[in-house]
This record gives sequence, C-alpha cells and structure tokens, in this order.
Amino acid sequence: MRRVWDNPLVRRLMASMAIAVVVAVVTGPPGSSEKPSAGLSGSFAEKSSFFGLFQTRRFVVFVAFALLFWGAWSLWLAWGEMVKFRSTKLLRRPRAVTERRSIRWSAAIVLIVIGFLLPTFVHDPFWQTVMVEQIAIYVLLALGLNVVVGFAGLLDLGFVAFYAIGAYATAWVTGALPTPAPFGGPINPFFAIPIAIVMVMLAGIILGAPTLRLRGDYLAIVTLGFGEIIAIFANNLYGITGGATGTNQIPHFSIHLGPVKYLWGLAPVPYYYLALGFVVLFLVVFSLLEHSRVGRAWTAIREDEVAAESIGINPLKYKVMAFSIGAASSGFAGVMTAAQTNFVSPTSFGLLFSINILVLVIFGGMGSIKGVLIGAIAIQTMSMYLIHTPPAGYQPPDLYIYLGALLVVMMIFRPAGLFPSRRRKREIGLAEAGEGHMDEVLTGDVP
Amino acid sequence: MISFFTSHFATLRLEFWALLVGGVANGLIYAMVAIGYTMVYGVLRLINFAHSEIFMSGGFGGLFVLRALVGNSTPSGMSSFVLVIVGIVSGALVGAILAALLERVAYRPLRRRNAPKLAYLISAIGASYFLFNMAGKEFGRYNLAVPQIFNDHPVFTIYGAPVQLYAIIVLIAGLIMLVVLDRIVATTRLGRSIRAVAQDAETASLMGVNIDRTIATTFILGGALGGAAGFLFGLGSGVVFTMGFTPALKAFTAAVLGGIGNLRGAVIGGLLLGLVESFSVAFVNGAYIDVVAFVILVLVLLVRPTGILGERLGRAA
Amino acid sequence: MTTDNIFDVRNVTLRFGGVVSLSDVSLHHQRGEILAVIGPNGAGKTSLFNSLTGVYQPQEGVITFTGRDVTPISIIGRKAHRVSSAGVARTFQASRMFSALTTFENVKIGAESHKGIGAFGAMVKGPRTRRGERESDLKTIELLNFVGLRDKANTVSASLSYGDRRRLEIARGLATNPQVLLLDEPAAGTNPAEKIQLTELIRKVRDEMGVSILLIEHDMKLVMSLAERLYVLNFGSVIAEGTPAEIRANTSVVEAYLGSSEHEPEGLM
Repeated sequence: MRRVWDNPLVRRLMASMAIAVVVAVVTGPPGSSEKPSAGLSGSFAEKSSFFGLFQTRRFVVFVAFALLFWGAWSLWLAWGEMVKFRSTKLLRRPRAVTERRSIRWSAAIVLIVIGFLLPTFVHDPFWQTVMVEQIAIYVLLALGLNVVVGFAGLLDLGFVAFYAIGAYATAWVTGALPTPAPFGGPINPFFAIPIAIVMVMLAGIILGAPTLRLRGDYLAIVTLGFGEIIAIFANNLYGITGGATGTNQIPHFSIHLGPVKYLWGLAPVPYYYLALGFVVLFLVVFSLLEHSRVGRAWTAIREDEVAAESIGINPLKYKVMAFSIGAASSGFAGVMTAAQTNFVSPTSFGLLFSINILVLVIFGGMGSIKGVLIGAIAIQTMSMYLIHTPPAGYQPPDLYIYLGALLVVMMIFRPAGLFPSRRRKREIGLAEAGEGHMDEVLTGDVP
Repeated sequence: MISFFTSHFATLRLEFWALLVGGVANGLIYAMVAIGYTMVYGVLRLINFAHSEIFMSGGFGGLFVLRALVGNSTPSGMSSFVLVIVGIVSGALVGAILAALLERVAYRPLRRRNAPKLAYLISAIGASYFLFNMAGKEFGRYNLAVPQIFNDHPVFTIYGAPVQLYAIIVLIAGLIMLVVLDRIVATTRLGRSIRAVAQDAETASLMGVNIDRTIATTFILGGALGGAAGFLFGLGSGVVFTMGFTPALKAFTAAVLGGIGNLRGAVIGGLLLGLVESFSVAFVNGAYIDVVAFVILVLVLLVRPTGILGERLGRAA
Repeated sequence: MTTDNIFDVRNVTLRFGGVVSLSDVSLHHQRGEILAVIGPNGAGKTSLFNSLTGVYQPQEGVITFTGRDVTPISIIGRKAHRVSSAGVARTFQASRMFSALTTFENVKIGAESHKGIGAFGAMVKGPRTRRGERESDLKTIELLNFVGLRDKANTVSASLSYGDRRRLEIARGLATNPQVLLLDEPAAGTNPAEKIQLTELIRKVRDEMGVSILLIEHDMKLVMSLAERLYVLNFGSVIAEGTPAEIRANTSVVEAYLGSSEHEPEGLM
C-alpha cells in the first residue's frame, strides 16, 4: 500500500484529482444555508457539455479534466526542461529587440494611439462603462499600489482608504456632503482633482509617519485594519459623510472657459479620455521615478534597510514618500469615480477592494509598471466578461474566490508576476538562494 | 466635562460585573484565536493571515453538525450538555482539518522553495480570500443562527449582574482548552519538538525533529483552538462567511499585546483586550468599539512591539 | 594627546538586558590615522562599530565625532543615516550589498544619498535632476576605477567574489564623501592574493583620499602590517593600546588570544 502512495505518478494523479474537485466546486452552482451540500452535489451531478461535444454529468467532465491535467503535468516534468530550453533559444532574438530603447518608445506610442482610438471600436455601452469604471480606474489604483508594494516593498492591504479619501474629498469640495463645502461654496470637480490629490498625499504622510516605522508584516495587518476603520467612520459619521447612504449629489466635470463650454455628462467616453490622459501622465511620472534616485533608494531600502541606512538613506522618509506618491493616483481615481457616478458611499470601499487591487499588481508583476498595466487590464477585462456573460452558477461575488486562488497560485509558481520587473525577479531568486536581506526588512529579524 | 465623566463612570459602576463577565468571555475567545497566531509565528516567524478563515470554518462546522443532530427538537439538560461538546469538537475538527490543508497548499510549497516571506504573506491573504468567499458561495452570504441547543438564561448573579449560561459555557470550555494546550506544549514530546523548532529550526532538524510534521501539527493545534473558538463565537453572534475578519484582527492584537510567540502572553493579551473592549462600552459609542482594539494594536506596535511578556519564541510555556 | 581627533570615545557602556557588551570603553582616533581594534570573538568589536555608526545607542558615555571643519557632534542618539550624513562610512562583517543591483547602481546609490530628495525633480526630470544624475554617474565611475571594479560595473553584485564585494562596499562607503571609513573584518573570506590587494586599497584610501580608517580584523598579519596603532578589546573592555610592536610584546594580549578560538563566528556581536 505504501509503495503505491510513494509512486510520484500516483501522487500526481491524486493531486490532479484534488485540483479538479476544487475547480469543479468553485465553478459549480452555489449552495445555500438550507442545503449546504447542494453546491457540492450540484458541482458533480449537474448536466454539462463535455468540451462542447456532448451532454453529460459534470463529474465526467472533471474526471476527464483531471486526467488531462495529470497527463500534461507528467509530460511537462519529463520533457518540460527541453521545451523550455528550445523555446528560450527561439525567443532570444525578439527579447533582445524589446530592450532597445527606440523600439520601446514606439511601442508606447502605438499603445497610446490604440488607447485613444479604442472607444471608436467599442460601441457596447456595457464595455464603454467598463473601460472607465473598471479598467481605467483600476489601472490608476494598481499603478499607485505598485509604487507602495512594488517599488518600496511595503505590503499595504488598506490601499482602498486613499481611494475613499479621494472620493469623499471630491464630494466635500463640491458641496455634496452634509458638511458645508470649504472654499466658500461648491466648486467644479475639476478643481477637486488637485485638491483631492493633495489631500490624499497628506493623508499618506499622516498615516504613514507613525505606521511605516513598523516592520513589514505588522504594517500589512495594521493597514488591513485601517481600511476597515475608514469604512466604520464613513458609515457612522452621519453629519460629515452622510453615513451609510453617502451622497449622490456630486456634479459632473465641466469646463466654462469663456466661449468653451463642455459638460461631462452620463456618457462614459468623455470620461474615458480624461482618465486615459491621467493614466498616461501617471505612467510617465512613475516610470521616471522608478529610474531616478528616489527609485534606487526605494530599491536599496527594500533589499537591505540596514545597509541603506549606513549610507545615509533615511528609510522612514522614503517609505512615507512612497505611501504619499502611491496615494496620489488613487486619489485621482477617487475623484474620477465620484464625479462620474455622482455617488459615494462606504459600500464602494469594502473589505474586498484592496485585495482586488493587490491581485492586479501581483499578477502583472510587482515593481514592473508594464506588468501592472497589462495585468490590471487583463484581469479587469476577464472579471467584467464574467459579469457580462456569466457562466451557469456564477454570481458576481464569486470573483473573489478566483482572485484569492490566483494569489496563491502566483505565489507558488511565479511570485515575481507574469511580466516581472528584472530587479524583483532577481531579488526573489536571491532570497530563495539564501542571499540578500529582504526578509529582515519584513520581519525585523536580525540574524 | 465633569458631568461627562460622572455619567460614564456611573454606567461603569452599575454595569461593572456584567461588563467584567462579558469581557472575560470575549477575551477567552480572543485568546483561543491568538494562540493560533502565536504558535504559527513561533515556528515560521510569520503572521498567518488565513487564520481568520479557520475561525470562520469552525463556526460553520459546528453549525451544520448541530443542525443535523438537533432537527426540530428542543434539547435540554443532559442532551444540551452533550450537544455543546459535540459542537465544540466539530468546530475544532473542521478548524484543524482546514489548518492542515492550508499549511499543505498555501505554505509548504513556498517553504520547499525557500521563498521570501513576502510571498507567504500574499499567499496566505489569497487563501483567506478564497476560503471566505467560497464559504459565502456554498453556504449563502447572510448571518445564520446556530440551532438553539440550550436555553440561555441567567444562571446566577454577581452583585446583581446576571451571568448567562452562554458566558459560563465559554468560560469553562475556553479555560479547559487553553490549559490542555498549555500542557501539550509544555510536557509532551510533540510540544518539545514544537518548542525546538520555534527556537532554532535548523538545529532541531539536525537533532532529528521532523520539521514538516512539527509545522503541520502546530497548524493543526492552533487550528483546532481557532475552530472551537469560532463555534463558541457563532453560538453567541451567529455564523456568516465574513465573521472571521474582525475577531481575528482583535485576536492578532491580543497576541501582539501579550508578546507574539508567547503562549501565555496570548492568553493574557486576549483577556486584557476583552476587558478593555468591554469596559470601553461605557465611554465609546457602540459603533466604534472595533476601533478601540485597532488603536490598541497600533499603540502597542509603536510603543512596545514585544508586548507585555515579550517575545519568547521557543520557551512557549 | 589633545591633537586632532576624528573620534573621541569616552567611558562608553553598552548593555543588552543584563549582558554588558561594552564596559567603560575609552579610545580616540586621530585624523588621518589607520587605527585597528582587535580582540577575541565576542569581545565587543562589532558592538563598538555599531555604537560609532548609530545602530546601537550606548547607555553611558560620550562619543564625539569631528568632521573636517565642523564643530564636534555627539554620535549617541543620532540615527544611523544621520551619522552617515555627518561623514562616517562603514562596511559590514558579512558584506551587505544591494545584491539584486549591479555594482554601478550600488555605488551610485551611495553617491546620491546625501543630495536633497527632490521627488518632484525626479518625476519631471528637470535640468537640475539631470545634472545631479550626471555628477553621480561620473563620481561612481571614478570610484569604481579607484577600487578596481570598473570592468565589473554592470555585474549583478550578488555574483561578485568576496574580495570584489569588499571593494564594492568600500566604494559605496566612499561615495558618501566620508571623513572616516569603518571596516568590519574586510579580509574575512578573501584569499591571500585578494588580501594583499585589499591592504593596498585601504592604504590608498587613506593616502589619496585623506579618509581616516578604523578597522576590525582577525587576520593578525594584515592588521600588523596595516595599522599604525591598535586597541585590544576583551570582554567589552580596552585591555591594551599601542603600536603593532608594542602590542606584540604585551603579555596580557597574548593571554586573551590564547584563551579563545579565532574561527568561531561571533555571538550577538
């Protein structure tokens, strides 16, 4: 009996079966509290099409899936190294091309042009809205979180707080909250952009100065709690925030410059262009920052805080700076959301939000602006596709099941992300080889 | 200003004993969860971000087992007693199984690769989100009451403050489990290997301690306590897929307050936090109670990150 | 002896809980001198270094640092990065480079760490930022030439040999424009040929750059050939002071060394 278990083929088969069961249950019908087993039994007993060939029960499909997976896995272990070797040989040339500067610039310009022309191809109002509310906004948030997690190496699990502060700041200065607006009355949300960005950056400094003294793992849990605390306050300070219902009185953006009058109304496309402009702005600013002395100082702190301090870098100052700069783009995202939907309430900034953004950063590759951009667009498009054409049994909150699983899978197989930053990839490799001092920064353990 | 304080202290005086009993009961639940954080921290030097879901799973485990057993009957007397034990045991069992699975899936592959700690944290956060949303999908996304297995009534009074049966159950069950765990870690062979790994994993493995198995059992022990705590909590407040978040954050606060890595510290921290939270009802608007624990967490981390008893990795008992 | 001292350490005591790591240590380091601190493992050498660089805060005593034309400042109570800004550079016992960065980047970070932060300048990349970048680049190249790592400028620092790591650490330290360079066992893990080169480099740092040197070392041959004056620490106290010849003749020093093994790694520090 022991013999059988020790056989790697058998073990792999069992693992494949276990994975198939998990996938079956995750993609299966929902259960209910009355019949908690309904989800489970439905996941296997319900009818389904067998890869589009014929109708059968789900468990047949998943057994087939497990066998295929097992076969592919075993084959990969047997032949994978060779395939990898061959493919890197084949891929070497194009990779060298992408590193050339002029090519990277022209690629960036092509991307911007595509981004600019995109609304002319997308006519479905659902996808037009998604482009603004779910992609552009999330790209902004992910770029901001990437500064914190990717550049400075600080695991911030309450990043949504800055987004919320940006949105509430907009509501405040435009006179949509129960508290009277500052600056002598309501103002155009356009002016809210700089005000909100300054406010979230200040919030980043105020929150960061005490908490960023903490070592990395404690910082993660404190920020996690902090996201919740912001929600509690937003929910309960009726006189200031409008309480649980929030406000739906935020005006749209508008321009009144002499003869030029333009109002951003309900249509998403004008917002798309506004957001695109800011995405490009933040992309440029953040990548300049990455390759500046500030970016290098962040890398130094992330890799070895003690050594960084010994050459005169003040870790706290740079960490607070990362918090504050990272907050800026999410503050803008908050303004956008508030002005476009006219609406802000605590429910928009729930527990799940911060993790959603974290997934975007991790998936693409923390520290890699290109990766984060692609990752954010890819994941948000996929998750919106699931809402647009949901598979049988799919409910919108199920998304977080997939996102959670994705985090685990990424950490096991590709911790540096799909399009990793070269430095980050090297760092993780070195940490795995027992070199470097990355963990010390996180846990404060000095060996 | 003066009237503010007199009125608040008047509440405090009137309610003192009731608040005390409630605080201790809550504190024991925090302590049981905090133990899980502290033990895993001891052997891995990591905060197990998915511990909140072990707590949640214990709540659901107890709930469904009791539902199957109770049906439409209204238990009393001896059968109530047995059902309470069954509920605790099934909560602990489910918690332990989930903790073992979690270790196997989200932690061990990373340990094999000697991954940086950041990867563990992110992996555990992912596991946590996967688990609680999975529970939401399978069991519905609303609060469920645990079947009534006993008639909750005041059993006796202390200076006029009634002590509910629920509080007594939590007190007795919590104390028994904490003492048993303490003895396991302090006296058994298993406990010795846990302490050895906590002190120095490399040396322990050279001396023949099976690291993998020790880490797995650490997760299981912590998971059992966390699951049982989840059931006890659910008995009072109902069970819902997001129930783990806040109590786990508080339990973590308790673990840090007592000194992370330190078993007795976790108990002291838990009781202290339970009491502080309970008495703060007299001063703080109920909606902000959760903020109190958070403020304590930040203050402790800034002022005395080693907690009351200090980090005592390895000398767990 | 009231000459030009760069470090003046008076009656410093450092404790960790009940353990006394440094007890009533007094020493002085003259400007331009190559000074060495020796002693058996656990004698408190690295604790002394960490106290001089602001990593540890001794409970008693005074440490005064005097830069070239600055009024004396007290080190105790100053954070490590501020001690560095004042003009103290150091290397570590087990080299601590930014291992995922290249040699060039490592040194450049040192070169630019004392300029104003200028996050805004970095974001818009204005002319001042560009000029700053160019200055740092030139300085980095100059220093890499100086320590002999020019041809390895684009090597990832984790793949450097032990000897090259030491050079890199020295270059990174020098990039911060220090008055004094503290070297924590620079020869550890290097081969004999590298040791000779390292000795030459250290002397060159002092002679050509005018940077005072304070080093801790186990390799007696290296210390005796390099240092102009030595202090001997044992159990956290200074037991002897003098020129290499005087120390060699000192019986209590010989005893302290006979009682311990040289190859054991140091304990807490």
